Amino acid sequence: MVNLTIDGKQVAVEKDATIYDAAKACGIKIPILCHDKKLHPFGGCRMCLVEVEQMKGRLIPSCTTPVTEGMIVQTTTDEIVKARKLVLELLLLKHPIDCPVCDAAGDCDLQNLTYEYKVNMNRFVDEKFNHEIDYENPLIERDMNRCIHCGKCARICDEIVSYGAYTFINRGIEAKMGTEFDGPLNCEFCGSCVSVCPVGALNSRPFKFKARWWALQKTKSVCSYCGTGCQLTLGSKDGKVLTTIYDENQGFHNGQLCTRGRFGYQFVNSDKRLTAPLIRKNGKLQEATWEEALAEVTSRLSAGKSDPASVAALATPRLTNEELFLFEKLFRGTVGTDNIDHSAGFAHEALTKGAVASFGVAASPAEIADVQKSKLLLVVKSDAYETHPVIGFEINLGVKRKGIALRIVSDKKGKLTRLPGAKTTVHAPGSEVALFNALCKSVIDQGLAVEGVAGLDALKAAVADASAEKAGVTAEEIAALAKDFASAEKALIILPIGQGYPGHNAALANAAANLAILTGQVGKEGAGLLIMGEKNNSQGAVDMGIYPKGTGLNAAAILDGCANGNVKTLFVAGENPVVSYPNRKKVEKALENVEFMVVSDLFLTETAAMADVVLPACSFAEKSGTFTSLGRRVQNVRKAIPAVGLAKSDFEILNAISQALGGAGYNNQGEVFTEIAATVPAYKGLTQACLKDEGAVYPVALSAKLVPVAAKAAAPAAGKLALVTGSALYHCGTMSRFGEGPMYVCPDAYAELNVADAAALKIGEGDQVTVTSGTGAVQVAVKVGKRVPQGVVFSPYHFGEGSVNTITDGSEVTYVTVAKK
Amino acid sequence: MSNAPAEEIPAEEIDLTEANEIIDKYLTLPGNLMPVLQGIQDAYGFVPKPTIDLVAERLNVYPSQIYGVLTFYAQFHLKPRGKFIIRVCVGTACHVQGAERITETFFGRLGIGHAETTEDLRYTFEKVACLGACGMAPLAMVNDDTYGKMTVQKVDEIIETYNARPMK
Ligand code: SF4
Ligand code: SF4
Ligand code: SF4
Ligand code: FES
Ligand code: FES
Repeated sequence: MVNLTIDGKQVAVEKDATIYDAAKACGIKIPILCHDKKLHPFGGCRMCLVEVEQMKGRLIPSCTTPVTEGMIVQTTTDEIVKARKLVLELLLLKHPIDCPVCDAAGDCDLQNLTYEYKVNMNRFVDEKFNHEIDYENPLIERDMNRCIHCGKCARICDEIVSYGAYTFINRGIEAKMGTEFDGPLNCEFCGSCVSVCPVGALNSRPFKFKARWWALQKTKSVCSYCGTGCQLTLGSKDGKVLTTIYDENQGFHNGQLCTRGRFGYQFVNSDKRLTAPLIRKNGKLQEATWEEALAEVTSRLSAGKSDPASVAALATPRLTNEELFLFEKLFRGTVGTDNIDHSAGFAHEALTKGAVASFGVAASPAEIADVQKSKLLLVVKSDAYETHPVIGFEINLGVKRKGIALRIVSDKKGKLTRLPGAKTTVHAPGSEVALFNALCKSVIDQGLAVEGVAGLDALKAAVADASAEKAGVTAEEIAALAKDFASAEKALIILPIGQGYPGHNAALANAAANLAILTGQVGKEGAGLLIMGEKNNSQGAVDMGIYPKGTGLNAAAILDGCANGNVKTLFVAGENPVVSYPNRKKVEKALENVEFMVVSDLFLTETAAMADVVLPACSFAEKSGTFTSLGRRVQNVRKAIPAVGLAKSDFEILNAISQALGGAGYNNQGEVFTEIAATVPAYKGLTQACLKDEGAVYPVALSAKLVPVAAKAAAPAAGKLALVTGSALYHCGTMSRFGEGPMYVCPDAYAELNVADAAALKIGEGDQVTVTSGTGAVQVAVKVGKRVPQGVVFSPYHFGEGSVNTITDGSEVTYVTVAKK
Repeated sequence: MSNAPAEEIPAEEIDLTEANEIIDKYLTLPGNLMPVLQGIQDAYGFVPKPTIDLVAERLNVYPSQIYGVLTFYAQFHLKPRGKFIIRVCVGTACHVQGAERITETFFGRLGIGHAETTEDLRYTFEKVACLGACGMAPLAMVNDDTYGKMTVQKVDEIIETYNARPMK
């Protein structure tokens, strides 16, 4: 610790703190413009000047000056105030005084400081800037006339996002913040630059002219897209969510969000939202009252009580814990069926079967904070960054700032591949388990296995004939990776799971866990296995028991049951099997055949359109409750706006049905949480009040054990390409299709081909092609690049049109032909 | 940042072989961005956009940053330049000796203005500040050849001379 005096106050801070940090720590506010706690110090604006007694005679920037023992600092002498006024005057010289029409007004550091320092006249005059404003994309407006050259946008885009869209261009008076060839902004549109811009130079276009900052009601909540569980602040007014508000002190991610979190909230206010219940009459869905709709549903379910096996229920892992708990209680308890599941079964088996077998708990043994505490990250699938972008940012930061080693095993390359020092092992599609088995064998052969782990002999036998070749990589690559992983002080495996990754199942979780356990990389911080569930509450759905137990049917079997008439009543809460489950035709047939289907959802999805009763549900912004993130963090979701139209939350819907069937009833979701805390062991002792803003990570008690798994060899089909599916940058399930941000970044389905394959097939960028497999054909546009290796096609699964589940059937790899339409 | 090995990148109109060779030469050296860009400028006469993308990919630098570097240093050019670069000094000494008339005459004869290039890529015209030979003001240069005591008539002679030179 270093001791110093600031404005007469004694302060003790860490030795790597700056004067600015030290002042902040003791509650003294120093004005800043170019500084952000997430970014490297820049020292460009000179707003934070202070005086240090030991360095008399000049003012020094507090944001870049480290503290030293015995420093005596003054932060507001007359001279300092004069200097700051001068800085402001100079900034205002070229800056247009646009405040009446600037969306940043009220949230603008320049405006606020000008007010605070009472700069009401300028001793200098100059012409204002006259840069053209970039309106060319629907999300971010760039008005460089308002730019104060703080460089924050360029720094965040480089240091955290690793996209590098901006740089200072030109020189001297011509210098400005620009892009490549000074063209329009063309990037990932994560909005990070907008969030840190201290003025109105970068603006969110969807928010433009919607409200003044001070008129917004601010509600702290949790993003409802992926399992990362980023916290966000919703800005709402007149019953509408108008924007998300940046708060550098919020969440493990310090306010950082991806495009879905930042610009994807529009689905809440979408004019496509369902606003009234619908009942199928004469073959057509028609508006009805809640009484009618619920009467229909409850009479159907109460009839089902006498034959519970004929009832099945699917829930989306987007619901709150309270809703999922109620869902489980209603169907497993009151109705008496074990046929409940979520996400087509396979997407969460990595947790419910894999993690349970390997670690004794249905959760990751690691948490998100471990990413930055590790010394080596082994990322499975290069697009972990795309499925969980903010964890991608954590990886970027860890690698670039802390020098954490990065290894990637993937069937294609991605952005992470380009990080400093990253090594990517590109394996054959669907051979992840083979690859992990080969790594385990290599660890054993190199004598790097820890002594006496449970199940070692069985594992040795099981991996005896594992080889690098079976995974399509070289023996040297495997040996080097095995050695790096085993000998790292702390190594963490990052494994994304979800509906787009059919091979990321229990077996892969076991195979990956084996490597961690075998090398002793588990049970300590910065190590282990982080299983990243796809949806915002994937972990909660597992915790609440939304998967078949005992003789219950899983999602695939439920659909078979619908098809063969064994399942007569199907309740679907927020799932969209038609687009997201494998084998679309089969799903559609099954749903057509089921006697009675009720769907609660925000939108008339492809699945809801087939239902007999459709119940309009609330979005996350219209309800309270909790989500549990992939790092086991239970967090409060808070209601920001009233329900849209007649929509009801799934809590209200399930509560009403439950009571009508003679089950438990609750006065509010909080009562359900109390019951969760009393009955779900991991949640023991939690209260919604004690979760506060930060939430709480529930503990896990591990009993690690090696679980041998056999690698299935995906036999390549001659003359065909291997289709791997996954997530498109910034989509998430099928809900992001209703968000403006994701739809701008990626509006349509596509298939990505290697340049060599494309050339051989005479297919060019943007061409429409037909991709055909054994189960069907789909038409999509083509992207050509070098991310995917030769012989592989990649296609995201989120889209209703060009839906890849028409051609996939749930196996790891689907062999397809691609031909120009 | 890690450096990517040479890979085939589809060329947009221009042949990237030479750019690839230049990158190969400096690939493993630290601080290789400037010499690579200088090499490319020497080879192509300017820095074409596809080469920026190539350098970005192979040296693992953001294209925006390369553009920042290119616009910061006056030595780099982002557009094709003429085979003959005509520079007319408009520094103080030349100015008082009538440099303005010389530049105007060039503009008229060549049909291009400051920092522009003729369509046939024969000439690029630039006004520059002091070329350091004030005794010979007004001064013009064509590539490395110096022409002092410029007159309107000399402008025509210069244009005739360089019109007669082969382009290759
Ligand atoms: S939106 Fe994101 S990717 Fe685009 S420039 Fe801003 S920070 Fe970079
Ligand atoms: S655009 Fe905003 S963040 Fe970027 S340099 Fe200008 S003022 Fe700073
Ligand atoms: S989608 Fe995921 S990564 Fe993006 S903001 Fe939401 S929780 Fe964070
Ligand atoms: S905040 Fe310290 S120099 Fe800008
Ligand atoms: S002013 Fe023209 S050469 Fe010096």
